[in-house]
Amino acid sequence: MVVAEVPKLASAAEYFFKMGVEGKRFRPTVLLLMATALNVRVPEPLHDGVEDALATELRTRQQCIAEITEMIHVASLLHDDVLDDADTRRGIGSLNFVMGNKLAVLAGDFLLSRACVALASLKNTEVVTLLATVVEHLVTGETMQMTTSSDQRCSMDYYMQKTYYKTASLISNSCKAIALLAGQTAEVAILAFDYGKNLGLAYQLIDDVLDFTGTSASLGKGSLSDIQHGIITAPILFAMEEFPQLRTVVEQGFEDSSNVDIALEYLGKSRGIQKTRELAVKHANLAAAAIDCLPENNDEDVRKSRRALLDLTHRVITRNK
Amino acid sequence: MLIYRGLSRISRISKKTSFGRRWLPSHPLLSGASHSAAAAAADSSVKVLGCREAYSWSLPALHGIRHQIHHQSSSVIEEQLDPFSLVADELSILAKRLRSMVVAEVPKLASAAEYFFKMGVEGKRFRPTVLLLMATALNVRVPEPLHDGVEDALATELRTRQQCIAEITEMIHVASLLHDDVLDDADTRRGIGSLNFVMGNKLAVLAGDFLLSRACVALASLKNTEVVTLLATVVEHLVTGETMQMTTSSDQRCSMDYYMQKTYYKTASLISNSCKAIALLAGQTAEVAILAFDYGKNLGLAYQLIDDVLDFTGTSASLGKGSLSDIQHGIITAPILFAMEEFPQLRTVVEQGFEDSSNVDIALEYLGKSRGIQKTRELAVKHANLAAAAIDCLPENNDEDVRKSRRALLDLTHRVITRNK
Repeated sequence: MVVAEVPKLASAAEYFFKMGVEGKRFRPTVLLLMATALNVRVPEPLHDGVEDALATELRTRQQCIAEITEMIHVASLLHDDVLDDADTRRGIGSLNFVMGNKLAVLAGDFLLSRACVALASLKNTEVVTLLATVVEHLVTGETMQMTTSSDQRCSMDYYMQKTYYKTASLISNSCKAIALLAGQTAEVAILAFDYGKNLGLAYQLIDDVLDFTGTSASLGKGSLSDIQHGIITAPILFAMEEFPQLRTVVEQGFEDSSNVDIALEYLGKSRGIQKTRELAVKHANLAAAAIDCLPENNDEDVRKSRRALLDLTHRVITRNK
Repeated sequence: MLIYRGLSRISRISKKTSFGRRWLPSHPLLSGASHSAAAAAADSSVKVLGCREAYSWSLPALHGIRHQIHHQSSSVIEEQLDPFSLVADELSILAKRLRSMVVAEVPKLASAAEYFFKMGVEGKRFRPTVLLLMATALNVRVPEPLHDGVEDALATELRTRQQCIAEITEMIHVASLLHDDVLDDADTRRGIGSLNFVMGNKLAVLAGDFLLSRACVALASLKNTEVVTLLATVVEHLVTGETMQMTTSSDQRCSMDYYMQKTYYKTASLISNSCKAIALLAGQTAEVAILAFDYGKNLGLAYQLIDDVLDFTGTSASLGKGSLSDIQHGIITAPILFAMEEFPQLRTVVEQGFEDSSNVDIALEYLGKSRGIQKTRELAVKHANLAAAAIDCLPENNDEDVRKSRRALLDLTHRVITRNK
């Protein structure tokens, strides 16, 4: 109803679907695979009709988790894009610019409210708690990124914590929610959580590398957007451990693009890129281990899905873009 | 004694029949009496015997007698009720809990939460007051206590859960305010204290999201999925109401129905649904839950309508002394909508918009000539009466705390109408 009335809000929704396609629907893919991988067969079906209905209903609820996850993800993207006052001054407050801000907030709220209602409809308060916590984590992560002190920016621990909040929390908690909806034990739910968390961290670390290397193995061919925005990621953090003088450059900031070149030089001399890849592999392996620890299951669909989840832990490491 | 019992029995019967329940048509405030006379009369009645008198002037005799007898017997004992003071202690407990609930790891986010509590102090905590009073008013006493310990524990737990609803409601409310301030970006120039002005749009947006997520977590902790649904719907309504306000077509802006719908979404939905949640947590029947809902809804609508009037009149009874912020933002509220019904030519002015302040003056002129202000007040009174009626329909209860809370809730329906700021 609201979308029909408000054309601009409809455009925001389009953005929502574009994003979904662009991202290869990574999160929903993981969640649906997890749902199958955790399939708990009804041991003694009363009769086919009942079993089918129950299984279908469960699947629908798990799909709902995937939808909610996407809504929360895009809402957070829309809100993250809301610019600060400083930027509106530069933008001279043209109508598009102002409308863009307002629309971003409203569209994000719209998606969040729809996510809330959908969450409520699942009638599972533990799941509500999990996904509400995700929203809190997204906010915390974004705020951490916006408001770092100098020490925090140069701290690997702080960076990993922020990365968990911003990237991994969503997928880890929604994996856990999938497990809970499936009626799995707490142990299995934790395994699902671990898979999501480590997969998410591995994904982000490789993302950091690609921002420097792009599709080639050599430095400087990537978009370099992180460093140009003053966002210090894992490769630079590792390089700083080897070359403390890099820290001075980092503290000066990167509005001056010659500082970017200096930082790239240090990065090239260091093992920053390699160490980041190694850390990503470590997390990918932890994710794979979580799948291996799932209770044995002979169902072919279950085994296929688990192999697919393992395959994903490989793909996040080897991808080039 | 016998007479009292007899009359009260009759009054109970009359309460159930239709004629005893509503007294709208002959209410003095709804008649042609001018605004100031009615307000003065209402004020004096508050001073004398409490708000119930105001509603019983034109009542059928039986209902009036019941109230006279009731006040004769109880006026010796009961003092002037201040709804806010009834729950003041509890409110400070709530405030403390709220503070701990929104503590954030990140300092900037924590500062945003601080702003939140400043806001809470400013607002007289109207919503939590209503909810706590409603909780007492709907108190369902355990008929046969197993032993004191069990009853106390259960009652305490219920109360805590109901307090939680009040906290959640405040979090949702402030989250929406933070976002609304971002949406009204132009206002940050006036409102130097607004969070987005001080800390930037983005942090205001994030802080709002943060509060919303904490509200959701608190909501989930109640482990009542119907309550979760109710308050999740509120969030959706708030967004819908804001969207309606931002994106109206010309026809919609001039439509009273659209305006009332938007007002329900933006203002009344939160309080109505949280009143209903209070009732559900108390284990009340669906009928009682609906009464609680109706109270909240009509109270909220009455509140907003008077808010609309005050934006024009300010603390004086005359026009143009209010802040006029609605009209300057191009927000067309009830008084103007009513005025447009009398003076169609006002619509042309409205459609031109109000960036040109001479249009504001023209509109005020039409408004002054029209009965827009009076009609808005009348509509507010109508809703306040509906709210009071909902309280009257609650199941009889002889507990003194319950009766006090119900009287306080009735008093609130009076205060929203007579307030000057």
